[in-house]
Amino acid sequence: MTIKRIQSTCAYCGAGCQIMFTVDTEKNKILEAEPAPGRTNDGTLCLKGHYGWDYLNDPQILSKRLTKPMIRKGGKGSPLEEVEWDEAVRYTAGRLAEIKAKHGPNSIMCTGSARGSGNEANYVMQKFARVTIGTNNVDHCARI
Amino acid sequence: MSMGVHEIEDAALLFVFGYNGADSHPIVARRIVRAKQKGAKIICCDPRRIETARIADMHLQLKGGTNLLLVNALANVIIEEGLCDDDFIEKHSTGFEEFKEVIKKYTPEGVAERTEISAGEIRKAARMYAQSGRSMILYGMGVCQFGQAVDVVKGLANLAIMTGNFGRPAVGIGPVRGQNNVQGACDMGALPNVYPGYQSVTVPAIREKFEKAWGVKLSDQPGITLTNVPHHVLHEPDPKKRIHAYYIMGEDPAQSDPDLAEVRESLEKCDFVILQDIYMNKTGQYADVILPATGWCEHDAVYSCCDRGFQKARKLIEPTGDVKRDWEIIGLISKAMGRPMEYTNTVQIWNEVIDLCPGFMGATDEKLEKNACIQWPCRSKEEHDMGTVFLHKDGKFAHPDGKAKFAPSEWRPPQELENEEYPLSFSTVREVGHYSVRTMSGNCRTLRNLEDEPGWIQMNPEDCGELGLRHGELVKVRSKRGYCITRCLPTERVKKGATYMTYQWWIGACNELTIGNLDPISKTPEYKYCACRVEKIEDQAWAEKHVREEYEEIRANMGIQTKGGRAA
Repeated sequence: MTIKRIQSTCAYCGAGCQIMFTVDTEKNKILEAEPAPGRTNDGTLCLKGHYGWDYLNDPQILSKRLTKPMIRKGGKGSPLEEVEWDEAVRYTAGRLAEIKAKHGPNSIMCTGSARGSGNEANYVMQKFARVTIGTNNVDHCARI
Repeated sequence: MSMGVHEIEDAALLFVFGYNGADSHPIVARRIVRAKQKGAKIICCDPRRIETARIADMHLQLKGGTNLLLVNALANVIIEEGLCDDDFIEKHSTGFEEFKEVIKKYTPEGVAERTEISAGEIRKAARMYAQSGRSMILYGMGVCQFGQAVDVVKGLANLAIMTGNFGRPAVGIGPVRGQNNVQGACDMGALPNVYPGYQSVTVPAIREKFEKAWGVKLSDQPGITLTNVPHHVLHEPDPKKRIHAYYIMGEDPAQSDPDLAEVRESLEKCDFVILQDIYMNKTGQYADVILPATGWCEHDAVYSCCDRGFQKARKLIEPTGDVKRDWEIIGLISKAMGRPMEYTNTVQIWNEVIDLCPGFMGATDEKLEKNACIQWPCRSKEEHDMGTVFLHKDGKFAHPDGKAKFAPSEWRPPQELENEEYPLSFSTVREVGHYSVRTMSGNCRTLRNLEDEPGWIQMNPEDCGELGLRHGELVKVRSKRGYCITRCLPTERVKKGATYMTYQWWIGACNELTIGNLDPISKTPEYKYCACRVEKIEDQAWAEKHVREEYEEIRANMGIQTKGGRAA
């Protein structure tokens, strides 16, 4: 068993608590989460900080972990079909380009995410909207 | 937040307004308790008897929807009783005379009836706030999720300016930001009016800077907000302004946004919907394409916590599915559209971010890698600059003249008030054990045991008595826009005539009821006020069965193999 201890930041509320994780790198599993001495949490965690990583195990409770790109090949209302990344990317880019050509860049809306994705993903998403699409139509759930 | 979370416990007085820390940020709430232990006075201003109210010196249990009446009346007392910090006002602010004109009619006696707070209590609270020496305001969604939200935020800032409670340790005003990275998404310019670092898209010099950095001509028109998407899909009369494609990353508007019936219609009618997420969710039911992403603990990232603190979230395990990092997926699509955006790691992206944002410039990867929490602004890459704990030091504000600006506003009531058909007020609140649309928390075994479908409606026992409702029985809650089924929770914590539900649940989906009325500036929906009625369900056996079947059905639609054997 190869055990590693890695410090990270909680992904639930905005308190920014620091967590010390114990990870079994051979089995690719998190074993435990303990409070770390962060500036905001000062060595404490709430229940979500202690137990909120179990979703990584896909325990089949509420909804299914997405593990493969999917497309509704038969149009709206048809079932989602699993595809390879190449096809999903080509299809998505093609539809966006077609809509942009037909209705203009401001007909496309993009969202960032206030959750696990992180700052880098938000930066790239807003850059995508502004540079690739050509619109300032980018927002996220800060308002809700 | 103008202050750091760690400063909360050193305030002499905490004025906690529309902020339920115990449920929304348990670890921040701990600082409120510690402040009390260290001798701070606490004024809790909330229509519910929340946990903070239990340890508060004063609980102003105001009537929902009257925030600005109360805030203006507090300012009125501070002026009338000569409790202002005249020196601070003189040196560091503008607009005080105009402000006084508006405020003078908001007497405590004049607002007592509507706010349901006596003039005596308002006077006492105003004196305590103005005279503590170190008063700090914390506020939350009880301020922001109203049709009149920004005015109240300004009203709270007015109180801090007029009493000199800015620019020193353990004072200021703190909107305790909700989600782990809502501050970060704003910092990174995932907003329709600003580039990263709050640099306006309408200022030519700034736009030119970004055009040069990104090598393209950029639009000078601010974009639309998320909350305006249903309108721009369904009702926008100008065809040039209609939304035809919606690229959604890590959000579930079909569960989290107000007036869900309208949201569903807009997702159905939008030509092309992309969902990029980690778990199947309600929005996924309407998506044309689904792009699976890595989740928290499966990738590296910088998050910004509620008090402007940048910190690292680290990759702990390898993802098991055929998933990619969010920024990698966006980069691939961009490349396929003819604009390569090829990054190989997050540090490369972060370096690009800080070099474009003067306020973030000093938050280098080297500093963050040492587990530092750097509160922006942090302008220098030199080792000594570790950021800024509190803003407005020495009374210096962000306006061009360096001064704070008084911003008076007149109160207006919520859009939809109680009426004969819908006699109760309705507000959404937070659930301590679950988070947002519970994509993550709902799929954690321990957290799931804390609470599950169909959630509860908090009601005053007297209202329950009148309707003949008992603890735990299933009820139908209805507004003009829709209905949901949930359990009745009689509790003395809420006032007669008011009801509250948490927004995590699929069956007890309170956003079927909420109203799409938006604050004109922030475009935040009025989640905290609409009218509803609660209906008794005579056949409880049917209702229990219905809830069970409905839950199983939705889970089956989300790809879970259920007992009924439906498709995965």
